[in-house]
Amino acid sequence: MIKFIWLKEVREELYTWKSTVWLLVASLLFSFTSYLLLTNKELSLLDQTELLWLLSKIIIGVGLLIVTIDASSTLAGEFEKDTAESLFLAPITPYEVVWGKIFYVVTLWLFVFLVSAPYILVTSASTHLTGAFLSYALLLGTLAVFGFSMLISAISLLFRSSKNTLSTALIILLALAVPALFSSTLKTNSVAELFGKINPIEAIFASLDNVLVDYHMRLPQNMQYLIPLLVFCAVAFAVLMISIRQFKRRGIVKDE
Amino acid sequence: MNILSAKNLNKSYGSIQAVENLTLEIVQGEFLGFLGPNGAGKTTTIRMLTGMLPPDSGEITIAGLSSDRKTDIARSIGVVPESRGFYDWMTAEEYLIFFARLYDIADCKKTTNNLLDQVRLSDRKNSKIGTYSRGMKQRLALARALINNPKILFLDEPTLGLDPQGQEDIQKFLQNLNRQGVTILFSSHLLPEVSALCSRIVIINHGRLIASGTISELQQQVHRQESSLKDIFFLLTKNND
Repeated sequence: MIKFIWLKEVREELYTWKSTVWLLVASLLFSFTSYLLLTNKELSLLDQTELLWLLSKIIIGVGLLIVTIDASSTLAGEFEKDTAESLFLAPITPYEVVWGKIFYVVTLWLFVFLVSAPYILVTSASTHLTGAFLSYALLLGTLAVFGFSMLISAISLLFRSSKNTLSTALIILLALAVPALFSSTLKTNSVAELFGKINPIEAIFASLDNVLVDYHMRLPQNMQYLIPLLVFCAVAFAVLMISIRQFKRRGIVKDE
Repeated sequence: MNILSAKNLNKSYGSIQAVENLTLEIVQGEFLGFLGPNGAGKTTTIRMLTGMLPPDSGEITIAGLSSDRKTDIARSIGVVPESRGFYDWMTAEEYLIFFARLYDIADCKKTTNNLLDQVRLSDRKNSKIGTYSRGMKQRLALARALINNPKILFLDEPTLGLDPQGQEDIQKFLQNLNRQGVTILFSSHLLPEVSALCSRIVIINHGRLIASGTISELQQQVHRQESSLKDIFFLLTKNND
């Protein structure tokens, strides 16, 4: 059942050209960034590992943004287009529908990552970091996308509206991403430090820094950064399960 | 033998009691007309019976299955719901194949093509649903409801907005289905259509069942032997206001 929902979503994206537009935007953005990093006078003076770290931040950031926008309408769209009732009248559980949609969102991220791969290869050429860069960007990005898509699905079931889901998801994404972009010198108090330790996006950037700049490429050396990401996924999973249970209690169709 | 039994169903939306102590039984093979003014609770009742909305209290049994076995019930019923959204980017054939797969139907393509033939959409099966007329979409909704060869069919205003020809097409199709043994619960505001099709009629108002029986039984209930269903409906719902 999950497979059929996933397949329907993938086909819908191909038919409606939505993902194609996103992938085109992503590739333009990556081209522009890579070109700047390699040719701009000031930027090209940066160490190559710093360049890679910057590019990895952009790839994961753009990927998360695309996924957030797309995931916000995937499940909520069923309610808005009045297709949810017919779908849930079939012998399918809300869990199967939601997981089918989540796997589609992860697939979309994998396509974004695939588009970014040539830029990674060009930027990391003549370093020994290509393999580590590809592996860690894929691992960390996939975990973050998985967590975010679970959270967005939970929000979609609550609001049943793309606009409300998107605005809430963007607020959450910004609340996590913006502090991660601050320099460590700005994070002077204990609250900022604690938030930095549990923030999954900050953990991604720190892990990439650890791999690309400090050359700590082995998985155990990055466990301290993976843990906040895994905790984020676990929390998102718990929120999703509560949301599905509540959705089943409220009914497939909205109370009138 | 009852194929559907609902006992003391209650559903409220905040302070509004949409359905109150509704008890309903449908015998296998019956063509039941389900009537009521706007806001009487018809759609809410159908949604509770089809598992789309949990009742606040009450018991529902369909084809011997209790309402908590939602996926098993889904395999026994077909529904044309009030909200009829479609995946407009799909063709009719793709749409039915998608649902056939969800129902785990062995020969999806053959089943789909048979249904498209029955609802006379074969010649447009490769067109996008977004290009369909309202009548074609209604027929497609009916085909989707029949994809699992259901024992009982719930129809919430299936002829709404159709021209007379479209209405007649669907009526003939439903009569034929009923002759083949499919039990039908038919909700409509088109009373001549209901009196022509249904073997028994249930009327609800303010969420309560106010009358049930054949047309002649309803005529006896209002003490007017020559009354049309329209007159009976007005009398019963006015008395109940």
